[in-house]
Amino acid sequence: MDGVMIVMGEAIFRQKNKQIAVNVVAACGFMTARQFAGLGKIAEELESGGLKMTTRQTVIVLLEENKLPAFKEGLPSLGLSISPFGDSVRAVKACSGNSELCPRAITDALNTGIEIQLKYLGQPVPSDFKIAVAGCPRGCTDPYCADFGIIGCGKDLYDIAIGGRGSSGSPLHGRKILEKCDQNTVFQVLDFVLDKYRTLAEPGERLCKTISRVGIEAFTPNFQLPEKNDVDEEFVAFLTSDE
Amino acid sequence: MSTRSLNEIDLRSIYNHLEKLCRDCDKINSPACKESACLIGFGKRALRFSMQKGTLDIPGAKKLIPTQDVKTYYPETVAPGLAETCRQCRQCRDNHSPDCVIALTRTCLEYTTLSQEIDYPGSVFQYLIKVREQNQTLSELIAAAVKIKSDR
Repeated sequence: MDGVMIVMGEAIFRQKNKQIAVNVVAACGFMTARQFAGLGKIAEELESGGLKMTTRQTVIVLLEENKLPAFKEGLPSLGLSISPFGDSVRAVKACSGNSELCPRAITDALNTGIEIQLKYLGQPVPSDFKIAVAGCPRGCTDPYCADFGIIGCGKDLYDIAIGGRGSSGSPLHGRKILEKCDQNTVFQVLDFVLDKYRTLAEPGERLCKTISRVGIEAFTPNFQLPEKNDVDEEFVAFLTSDE
Repeated sequence: MSTRSLNEIDLRSIYNHLEKLCRDCDKINSPACKESACLIGFGKRALRFSMQKGTLDIPGAKKLIPTQDVKTYYPETVAPGLAETCRQCRQCRDNHSPDCVIALTRTCLEYTTLSQEIDYPGSVFQYLIKVREQNQTLSELIAAAVKIKSDR
């Protein structure tokens, strides 16, 4: 849901019907029942025109503009906030893959995504910067369509692709720059890519454009990755137990 | 998120077929019975692990399949288990994972009777064609077992 941004840096847009669309961000789209109900209660009290899920796993709340201060006031107690917009790191998309949810997941994508969002959300960059985390190669969160895509490939192991662009008339798939990184390395690579992006990009230039101009090598860290065993150690122990 | 839940996949039914194979094995209940070194035993361990953990994929498990197990198995006894893996397979096609517990069990069973491992093509029909290229009898037995169960 787009429109005219009315508060600089915040995803709040005026709509055709004169209402404003306020984009609310949770922990990679994960909300407790209290948060979900609380958001609904505030929206109802403020006579919201409706709520809409977004492709970035955020929730748009439609409001009359004069209700915005009251709406903003209610969010912190729910652990929710207004999503950043403009030239910044956007809300992180992550699938529900963790030790308790999606049975297909092979690594903890959801908590990795949440940690990334906590650290990087809203950080300034030359253009919008979108991150997606998937817990297995099926890639339900479209990691190859993100500026920085993280794809689970083993237990605490991730492949990293950069330079994707999804929501565009000229979509592009990201290219894999590293394989089998543990979570700590993912953070190091993300710091590296963001640093290079801030240094090399022209103002307003999306990462994929910078890559096509200067080459992907400039964004490929020369890290010495430790040798990783991609076999599930827990299964190995289970396989030979009681023999 | 996966479109099918683990609850919709009946791993126990695959496990029961493997149990039948064990009952006919000379090594059952002897010190020589080591599941980690046996194709059928490995399949059973993978299935038990999956059922206990509520997970379908076991990262890296395919590398651990004991391909050195050369015990003699017969198409007639293996085919019902392979048919059950076909029935339980969600036909993920492009998203097929060789470490999916259904694929792991199927690969174990293939090693018992086929000379070459089959790169799973993503659908049961195409799979049967590939089996037929190596062992026509096995392919027909699997097809018949799938059909019998479907007709019930």
